[in-house]
Amino acid sequence: MKKRSRFAATALALVVSAGVVSACGSNNDGGNAAAGNTGSEGAGAKKDTITALLPPVSANFQANFNQMEAEFTKQYPNLTLKIEPASWEDMTQKLDTQVNAGSPPDIAFMGSEGISKYVPLGMVMDIKDAATPEMIADFDEGPLKYMYNGDGLYGFPAYMEVHAIGGNKPFLEEAGIDWKKVQQNGWTFDEFREAIKKGVVKEGNTTKRYGFVFATAGVTSKDYLGILVKNAGMPAAFDKDLKYAYTSKNYLTLLTNIRQMIDDGSMPKELSSIDAGKRWNMFLTGQTMITGKGMAVFENSSRLNNEKIDKNDGSAVKDSIKTDYVVLPVPSFAGQPAVANSIVDGYVTFRGKKEPTAEHKANVAKAAYFLASGQVAATTNGELFSAPITKSSRKAAEGMESKQSPENKAAVEHLLSTAAPARPDIPAELGAKAIKLETEVIVPKLQALLAGETTPEKMYEDVKKAAIDTFGADGVVQD
Amino acid sequence: MAREASTIKTKYRLNKGDGAWAYAFIAVALVVYAMFTAYPVVSAFIISFQDYKPLGSSYVGLDNYVSVFQSSLFWKSMGNTVLYTVLTVPVALMLSFGVAILIMPLKKWMQTSFKAIYYLPAVASGVALSVVWLWIFDPLQSGILNQLVGVFGISNQNWLGASATSMFSLVLMSWLSSHGTSIIIYVAALLGIDSSYYEAADIDGASFLQKMWHIVLPCLKPTTLFLLVTGVIGSFQVFQNAYLMTGGGPDHSTTMVGLLIFDTAFKYFEFGNAAAQSLVLALVIAVMAFIQFKFLGKDVEY
Repeated sequence: MKKRSRFAATALALVVSAGVVSACGSNNDGGNAAAGNTGSEGAGAKKDTITALLPPVSANFQANFNQMEAEFTKQYPNLTLKIEPASWEDMTQKLDTQVNAGSPPDIAFMGSEGISKYVPLGMVMDIKDAATPEMIADFDEGPLKYMYNGDGLYGFPAYMEVHAIGGNKPFLEEAGIDWKKVQQNGWTFDEFREAIKKGVVKEGNTTKRYGFVFATAGVTSKDYLGILVKNAGMPAAFDKDLKYAYTSKNYLTLLTNIRQMIDDGSMPKELSSIDAGKRWNMFLTGQTMITGKGMAVFENSSRLNNEKIDKNDGSAVKDSIKTDYVVLPVPSFAGQPAVANSIVDGYVTFRGKKEPTAEHKANVAKAAYFLASGQVAATTNGELFSAPITKSSRKAAEGMESKQSPENKAAVEHLLSTAAPARPDIPAELGAKAIKLETEVIVPKLQALLAGETTPEKMYEDVKKAAIDTFGADGVVQD
Repeated sequence: MAREASTIKTKYRLNKGDGAWAYAFIAVALVVYAMFTAYPVVSAFIISFQDYKPLGSSYVGLDNYVSVFQSSLFWKSMGNTVLYTVLTVPVALMLSFGVAILIMPLKKWMQTSFKAIYYLPAVASGVALSVVWLWIFDPLQSGILNQLVGVFGISNQNWLGASATSMFSLVLMSWLSSHGTSIIIYVAALLGIDSSYYEAADIDGASFLQKMWHIVLPCLKPTTLFLLVTGVIGSFQVFQNAYLMTGGGPDHSTTMVGLLIFDTAFKYFEFGNAAAQSLVLALVIAVMAFIQFKFLGKDVEY
């Protein structure tokens, strides 16, 4: 080998090796540590960078990132907000990887129920002392409580919305359902069961339209039971005495009712394989009268598809028909009061391996508040058809045009008034155990129940046994 | 003095010859191996004895291993993985071998075209392929596979949502995709068989099947063993199909060990437990590979 070639090849080998080592060795504290370091130097209003991992919360949310970053720096000249976009599919995995590597972003958008998952790791950042009284006072008390776990405040809420069900107005009227009355007064399971029976349309042995289709596969696997159970006297996984609630007899009644709707032929027997996309497609193509879960923003999706049909736009959903989305409450089960499944998503604050300084904490709180209030929140809420939950965003929303129907708006407000209250008293350790029980036992058994491979009684016994194994006989409700 | 002179001479030789340069080049692969294979394995081994937390882990001894061995779900997922392996690997080998035999007599350009076509799924994204398969397995009557079975008067099946058909659906997916690599390896091995064997067999009046039995199969034994061992290893590590197609359901009927490890680590944040599960899986794979070499590799020469 010639001397020159040897030298070049060796240099190349060393550069590659050094590259590998440095790529792995550097930056493992992520933006959080970098920001923390900047903040830890003390002395005055120093420059600081706050990182945020944000999914496409609403239609134009991610398109506005540059503008949001610029406006934040305009408001706080010494601070930089650095937003990393993520898809909904990647969001959890990306965040979990960063959290477990000890270098999460300062802020991540997620459901408030996920906070309990991160508290035992010590990686979420309590901003109770960093948030100013003005910030706290801006939020409605109800949604803000969802961001608490124990005494700690772990971010600010972006919106509070209801996960209910939704019907197609022409089909509801065709089936003789007084949907306006239902929106205001709700319905019991028996009333609902009869209504969805009327919604079924058959041609010979083939069902052309189901009365009710709820997504139960994929990412929605927890939704069905999670939403229904709140209306069966179990608004949370634990009762007020912190006993696991899903061992109650009402749970068995609910499971029985779930199976009855399939056996009636009102729901497809293949329900366990229907995912979110499929059931929305079934709604838009007229294959179901009522769909779940339903959110207020679906009215907008339905309207947009109608517009495409009118314009003969090829991007309209294939074989879709014009639909008129009506917000409906989930029926109540076992004679229990209806409790709406309220969801609070928000900007959760995280910390890295290094202890964050008080100054950096305050800066993160400022960034979280900036995203959760004022103009940013007003725009996001408007796109999602969800009511503002801060005074500042209500003010910013004045004059913004809403295309939500007055009936649906009133129905959502009514549902929010019956929403399950936040439960910050549930210890994170109990919450984590309940999540594991739900993932490992309840969801798989529910899939089997929907597929007709187990009975409600057997599933109830399986869940009860697993719950007693997890929480002890004294830690579960025995009625 | 003599030893000193010898040391200087050796050093001189090392610097003068290509040895030092060779070490420098090996260093690249070694560093990559150390960073991305050895380090994670050692880390997993250490973590398997810990209750892992990003802000400080604690030593828990053998608790994680005890938890793995006592977990009925772990053994169920191990059973599912073994079943999946038994149903997929031998069929994959037979299909690959059959296609390779069919391709062999073709002209060179035809061989290349078929090899490229069969290799295409390996190039395509697994996620994209899964989306297509989800479409095929649509549970309603309008689903592609349901329309096909409907021709035979069978009612629509809940392919991925029922325990009776979910594992079969994943196996079918495996049967009908990604044999490209094995086909290419088999074709290369078939081309490596000396034509004098076939000539001698022709002179002796051997039939096609006799040539297959007495020439092709023995000559391909090393290739088959290699594909069997790598196939079993790959099958034991299967994750993507179950994760994307069924999520392990219904009722854990398609939960494979790989998926269970993922869930344990990223859904429950029990990294110590997940590390223990993955090391037990590695041990099982090592034992399986050893058994295969022990019983099938006796008369194989490389």
